[in-house]
Amino acid sequence: MGLSTRAFELVPGVASDLLTAEQFGGEHLANAELGSPKRFRTMRELLRKKVAVLAMCYLAIFYFCGLAAPLIAPYGLNEQELTVEARRQPPSSEHIFGTDQLGRDLFTRVLYSARTTIIFTIIIFVTGGVFLGLGLGLLSGYKGGWIDTVIMRVGEVLSGMPTLLLMLAITASFRGRINTWSFWLEDHTFLGDDSRTLVKFGIIAIATVPFAWLGSTRIVRSQVLAIREQAYITAAESMGAGTPRILFRHVLPGVMPLFLVGLSSGMAGIAGAEVALSFLGLGIDEPAASFGSLIASVSGSRNLNDYPHMLIAGAGPVVLFLFSWNLLGDSLVDVFDRRQNTR
Amino acid sequence: MGPGLTGYIVRRLLWAVPVLFVISVVVFSMMRLAPGDPVDAILGQRYTEEQAAVLKAKYGYDKPLPVQYVKYMANLAHGDLGVSTRHRDFTASDVIWPKLWVSTQLGAIALLIVFGLGIPVGVYAAMARGTFVDPLTISFWLAIEAVPVFVLTTIASWLFALKLGIVDLGYRGVWSPNMIVPILVMSLPGVAGVARFMRASVIGVLGDDYIRTARAKGLKERTVVITHITRNAMLPMITVIGLSLPGITAGSIFVETGFGIPGIARESLAAALAPDYDVVLALVLFGAALFVMANVAIDVMYGFIDPRVRVGAGRG
Repeated sequence: MGLSTRAFELVPGVASDLLTAEQFGGEHLANAELGSPKRFRTMRELLRKKVAVLAMCYLAIFYFCGLAAPLIAPYGLNEQELTVEARRQPPSSEHIFGTDQLGRDLFTRVLYSARTTIIFTIIIFVTGGVFLGLGLGLLSGYKGGWIDTVIMRVGEVLSGMPTLLLMLAITASFRGRINTWSFWLEDHTFLGDDSRTLVKFGIIAIATVPFAWLGSTRIVRSQVLAIREQAYITAAESMGAGTPRILFRHVLPGVMPLFLVGLSSGMAGIAGAEVALSFLGLGIDEPAASFGSLIASVSGSRNLNDYPHMLIAGAGPVVLFLFSWNLLGDSLVDVFDRRQNTR
Repeated sequence: MGPGLTGYIVRRLLWAVPVLFVISVVVFSMMRLAPGDPVDAILGQRYTEEQAAVLKAKYGYDKPLPVQYVKYMANLAHGDLGVSTRHRDFTASDVIWPKLWVSTQLGAIALLIVFGLGIPVGVYAAMARGTFVDPLTISFWLAIEAVPVFVLTTIASWLFALKLGIVDLGYRGVWSPNMIVPILVMSLPGVAGVARFMRASVIGVLGDDYIRTARAKGLKERTVVITHITRNAMLPMITVIGLSLPGITAGSIFVETGFGIPGIARESLAAALAPDYDVVLALVLFGAALFVMANVAIDVMYGFIDPRVRVGAGRG
């Protein structure tokens, strides 16, 4: 159902509605006479800041570990020891997260899974966020007319579709071609063994991107509509500045803050989409590492009962990652609200 | 209901027709043009050209796409959703409706819990604004929201079935006590979203004049919070409630696969993987139609509640 799996289905429409509602609430903050003592307010602000700081610290560690995975990892990604004693080991000095059911070092798997998450979020950030979200939002807000109508109607049609089901249908129908495409890549490029994973990344990106730009586009568009009416835009137009110049020099800086706020609140949803698809065996799967397939291999109540370290080590880092993005997005919205009001 | 409102409803309903038309065309072409073939799905890997030709003629796959679309839509108008290639000898309707009913019942209960918990939590957090209770409450629910449903499934079934031994994990019908665990797993992650929205909405209302008036005339704080603040803050919630209504029929893939519930989400997953073309098509169209209808219903409800909406729409 839509609500309960919010972080794991991309529901950008709803997310952006929530965001605008919070700003709507924020507009009233300035004249709200709450009568709360000042020290509570500072305390609350402090706590909020601390939460944001903690979240950012964790995200920094996560991104560093993920990007530097090959350097940090104590073992090879698929290095295994297949003796009975070597499998499902609890944490020890040799394997700080223990080992999995195939006798592979869990810490290493987690590091490479983090890398998968990071690569995927960057792909979607660039394509769905910056390219489609920001680009289409600027275009439809500034140009207006039929361009605006077409973009917003396409968005409406897309947001009306059951997202997860379509993502499944798209990935499933493309997965039949994995062999063809990855063999072609292996033969014609320098990618070699990585091409198979690359093709899988491509497939989940194709399935995710159509639904990932709606929220950002709406946010950017509404911002552009407000900025377009400002005197300095008219001034720039009257001085003969071209559309690209006005968009990038004059409109974009005003749009950026809210765009980034919107993206950061949507980040957990994007990362969660990959984890969910991989969990179902439709995303990045073995032998490449992903939190989704990692969690799939360690779930089950029996497994949790007998080898609790496996679920904690496998799911913990990614849960904290999603949580951190949620908290960070939340405090960003908050800080932005306050700035908007004091201005 | 005045003539203005009737006209407004009719306009909104008429507007839904082109949207649904476009959605159906897009999804239909996507399913037909997707790599793979229903004939492959029915016959398996080895078949002769004659067999394929017979099947294609039988189901009309040899006709041009627009002709296929018109035929599909004509059948749809009679309630014929096509055939299932995954379940031999079953039509898509046979496959979909019983499972849809299971998921809808569970989804409705879960939705009640989501809003029943989320709204009070949101009001509570908003009233505690300025203290550490507010961020703490919201963070707690955000933390639950951050746990993937499939991890929550494992944790909940371990806790309730293995540790506490309250339930077992088999599926014995929607209304058996065994369903407590899946319903909890479905509903708890949704609470954070509702609570946050409600909190923002309440804070928006707090500064309004009538709240001060209510306090000034000496009403009990309880009355102020419940009848003045919460009731007015509920207005924007209509959208959230309305938009989440279609979701109750969708089921949750991870919960249904995790607990072996024969619901529509598990069928969707299997249908998407098989692929079971007509079943997927029917499910997507059904979901889209529900979503569009919910949007229309929300607009109409706002028209009922807030006269300014329908006056504006009448002018435009």
